[in-house]
Amino acid sequence: MTTPTLPEARWKAWRPARPALLAAWTVIALIVLAAAFPGLFTGRDPLELEPAVAMRGPSPEHWFGTDQLGRDLFTRVVYGTRPSLLVGLGALTLALAAGALYGLAAALLGRFADVALMRLLDVLLALPQLLVALLALTVLGSGQVNLMIAIALSLLPAYARLVRAEALVVRRSGYLESAVLLGQHPLVQAFRHVLPNALGPLLVLGTVGFGMAVIAASGLSFLGFGAEPPSPEWGVMLSEGRDYLQTAWWLGVFPGAAITLTVVAVSVAGRSAQARFTRRTTL
Amino acid sequence: MKLSRTTPAAALVAAALLLSACGEGEAAGPVADAPVKGGELTFAVDTEPVSFDVHVSQQDITGTILRNVFDSLVHQDGQGGFQPWLAESWEVADDLKTYTFKLRKDVKFTDGTAFDAEAVKANFDRIADPATKSQLAATLLGPYDGTEVVDPHTVKVSFKQSFAPFLQAVSTPYLGFYSPKTIKENGAKLGSGGAVDVGTGPFVFSAYTKGQNATFTRNPDYAWAPKGATNAGAPYLDKLNIRFLPEASVRVGSLTSGQVHVSFALPPADAKAVEGNSKLALDRRDAPGANYSIYLNAAKAPLNDEKVRKAIQRGIDIDTHVKTLYFGEYKRAWSPLSPATAPYAKALDGSWPYDQALSGKLLDEAGWTTRDSEGYRTKDGKRLTVDWPLLPASFIREKRDVLGQAFQADLKKLGVEVKRPQGDIGTYIATVYGGKADLADYSWARAEPDVLWLLFNGASKPAEGGQNATFIDDPELTEWTDKGRSTLDKATRDDVYTKIQQRAVELGLVIPVYTSAFTNGRSRTVGGLEYEANGWPVFQGAWVTKK
Amino acid sequence: MSPVVRILAGLGTRLLGAAAVMFGAATLAFAALALIPGDPVTIMLGPFTTASQEIRDQIVLDHGFDRPLHEQYLSYLGRLVQGDMGESYQLQRPVAGLISEQFGPTAELASAAVVLAVVIAVASAVATAGRGRASRRAAHAWELVAVSLPSYWLGIVLLTVFSFRLGLFPLVGASGPSALVLPAATLALPIAGVLAQVLREGLETALEQPFAVTARARGLSRTAVRLRHALRHAAAPLANLTGWLAGSLLGGAVLVEVVFGRAGLGALTLQAALNKDMPVLIGVVLLSALVFVVIAAAVDLLHLLVDPRLRPA
Repeated sequence: MTTPTLPEARWKAWRPARPALLAAWTVIALIVLAAAFPGLFTGRDPLELEPAVAMRGPSPEHWFGTDQLGRDLFTRVVYGTRPSLLVGLGALTLALAAGALYGLAAALLGRFADVALMRLLDVLLALPQLLVALLALTVLGSGQVNLMIAIALSLLPAYARLVRAEALVVRRSGYLESAVLLGQHPLVQAFRHVLPNALGPLLVLGTVGFGMAVIAASGLSFLGFGAEPPSPEWGVMLSEGRDYLQTAWWLGVFPGAAITLTVVAVSVAGRSAQARFTRRTTL
Repeated sequence: MKLSRTTPAAALVAAALLLSACGEGEAAGPVADAPVKGGELTFAVDTEPVSFDVHVSQQDITGTILRNVFDSLVHQDGQGGFQPWLAESWEVADDLKTYTFKLRKDVKFTDGTAFDAEAVKANFDRIADPATKSQLAATLLGPYDGTEVVDPHTVKVSFKQSFAPFLQAVSTPYLGFYSPKTIKENGAKLGSGGAVDVGTGPFVFSAYTKGQNATFTRNPDYAWAPKGATNAGAPYLDKLNIRFLPEASVRVGSLTSGQVHVSFALPPADAKAVEGNSKLALDRRDAPGANYSIYLNAAKAPLNDEKVRKAIQRGIDIDTHVKTLYFGEYKRAWSPLSPATAPYAKALDGSWPYDQALSGKLLDEAGWTTRDSEGYRTKDGKRLTVDWPLLPASFIREKRDVLGQAFQADLKKLGVEVKRPQGDIGTYIATVYGGKADLADYSWARAEPDVLWLLFNGASKPAEGGQNATFIDDPELTEWTDKGRSTLDKATRDDVYTKIQQRAVELGLVIPVYTSAFTNGRSRTVGGLEYEANGWPVFQGAWVTKK
Repeated sequence: MSPVVRILAGLGTRLLGAAAVMFGAATLAFAALALIPGDPVTIMLGPFTTASQEIRDQIVLDHGFDRPLHEQYLSYLGRLVQGDMGESYQLQRPVAGLISEQFGPTAELASAAVVLAVVIAVASAVATAGRGRASRRAAHAWELVAVSLPSYWLGIVLLTVFSFRLGLFPLVGASGPSALVLPAATLALPIAGVLAQVLREGLETALEQPFAVTARARGLSRTAVRLRHALRHAAAPLANLTGWLAGSLLGGAVLVEVVFGRAGLGALTLQAALNKDMPVLIGVVLLSALVFVVIAAAVDLLHLLVDPRLRPA
């Protein structure tokens, strides 16, 4: 939640060490696999109850222990991958798409639209991201889709700014004017000339945004705006587990670790992509 | 019929609880065995009141906290009887339409104003005034007609209809008394807490920091404790500090590390650890009123079929899940009414055990015989689905969402699909209170069997501020709940209230789930802590032994 | 134009922009209020109430819910201009009073966190900048983990270990500095991760500059060069982070205050969001917009005064 947007873009690129990068990609591959085919990792059902073994610690039988209804925690963490990533990914995609459209509109629809849209953006930027998300959730109500929209709304301003800046650079370069003279529609220009230029930095910013979205989602779940049970979702599991901190540490530790590991792996991979990208553009 | 204070002063259940706690003391630390004057006690609670105006608030926590500041006309003892408190005696008219109270003459508000008949009238009139926007107290006043000052120390409260539950209602802090002076000067600000909330109680509300704590100081002049209290005079404690700690793990941690003396609402998971700790004691009391139950909407398909309702009622393994999830701390319920509230229908105990074979048979008889590809039962091509909306997370207590998941899994085995959509509170209210859901779940803490009227009377329509989520007007349930509230005759009340509990279960209108318990952790340095009829701690007779 | 006039003109433009942002925030907040689905009275009362129709009507009347939307908007703006932010739906107290009352504890927590974050960041940057691969890797690793940890989780773990198990920092009952250590650390760590990275990179650039080499040549020790000269240069980019910092602090305060049971703006904000207490939420929105606008103007002005190149021509 307290992770930044703007400063990230300012950070100088660095290339993570090779072993770290390898580890990061291995983790990402495992996470993607778990999200796509959870059945590969476990033969159990995440919703199956076994009250007789409720609240047992980690053991060879139950690697991560069992929860308060006797469900296998490892299975729930594995099955929780998909919904947890979906919130982050959904929020990010939404923010990127909406941010790109917003930025393009500001840059290409004329001076009045630019001023109006950028002022609105200034307002959003003036508010802490969490507050924007909370405001959106107060209006929309809790639930997974609304959570996605709220987080997207809080991420959007950074992307919109970036796309607008790129679009202005392209516009000033002069080849848009020639395109207009050739009779192209502004929208066509946008898709042909501006977006490809903005895509690189946008995607790099996106890897950072993904980590932020996952943390934000788990934080908002913790605050009570989360997903619907009984679907296992990391943020909700963590928030359920926090009441058992004194008696059953594993209920909170493993979902928390899954969140942290995912965010770290994606950040490491993202940084390396960023490094490669900046090198290419500065050459 | 005339009823005056006939019940002899009975020993409080709480006193027994206290004695047993003292007897178990080990050599591990200082144990509270004799009253100690002075000192400060820190009490951690899980919820922060939205409003500190007892006449406005509907929250349990407001009553719990402000019980220390406000006294009542009568005191409800552990046996459900009523004892004199601010009223020395009272008379109830035969038609139950007027109640006349003779007030004590020595009572003073902490701002020096005398407590008299005018004060009672000012408070009751304030509650009944729509401008006060009372969310609970006005309901407790029922068909209130007015208060008449007979003489400075006698008041006559009249009702438009017979109103038997009034004595219980008037024993709650929600019908407590503010100093008329503060009502006049700070009427609109009473909800904000602090020094404006002037009562007659053992403690003075001295300060409130929102989000953090509320502090109360000793009322040295207090000499009007309810009859039967172990400490008749001013409290032993100089200061009572109430901390708001919403995180359960924080409450437990601060109790075990000695940062608070008493902690409210310990999670069942930690109860064993607290019991095993030689420096701590666990005080447990069953919550009164309506148990946590699931109510079935019998006004619409598929639950308009009694067989389907019974199938669901018998098809969930309440015993196992309640025991597992709450570590044996909460009792599994058999009746919609708590065993802590008389008259409890004991005959219901064990009368409807978990029996999926029976449930399957009932569903077959009801015509839900075919199954679809996901294993759910169907009839005429329609899947057997029940909607059970989930409250927004901030309203969910006691892990009821997790318990619901267990029931969902049981019913899936039976071939019944349970959907649990979760939306915002507006959607929840529109769906559930609008009768569009199939199941609704809640508990209702009120130490009076009249709570059954709220749950099952045909006039208690959810769309109009009622709570009857069965959405039907069963003639017998309506007749009996009406009868119960219009008489004070014990035999009649016992009879109708027992019948109501049995009939509601027999018709499959309700699935009682568990009796919630107040589980409070307490340092063994704390003595004299008592619990009143609602299960709330009373600090008037409490003390802290110095280390 | 004289420089003074130019600065004043710059200031004027700033103020106009700031006013626009404030107006926008107020309108956005009102739009959010108007967009909430469902009957506001039902939402205010919550699910477990036995309030009668008479009482519901009274609430509608008190809050003017029956008036047309544009009328409500105009009277809302009018009251805002006079500094009246209305009354909380739930707490029935003036919003301005609530916010000013809760501002203190949050400011205390936030300033403690900033100090802690800066100390950690400076220590980490001075210790690791340009000192070889191993230390740089270590710096990268901790910075990354610091920003990737869910902060509320960190708070609960710190609380369990240091307060409950070890009994080092009593939290409840005490209100002195010891009660501030854990919440401030929780709030500070992710911020320190970011600051340390920015500072370290600035430091690395500065150390390559001629003045650093000269200072070394004058015989100053490496650490002295870092602390005395390079750090000042490296700190410049931090000024641009102040706006972000303020936002992070308020956002983080919501979670930290909830976990540690502290009073403050964060806890107030969350309570308002959960109860749909819009007047309070609107007040918090306006306050954070104001803080941001003031900080942004101050940073710009600072640049303007310090760096003549940035003055408008």
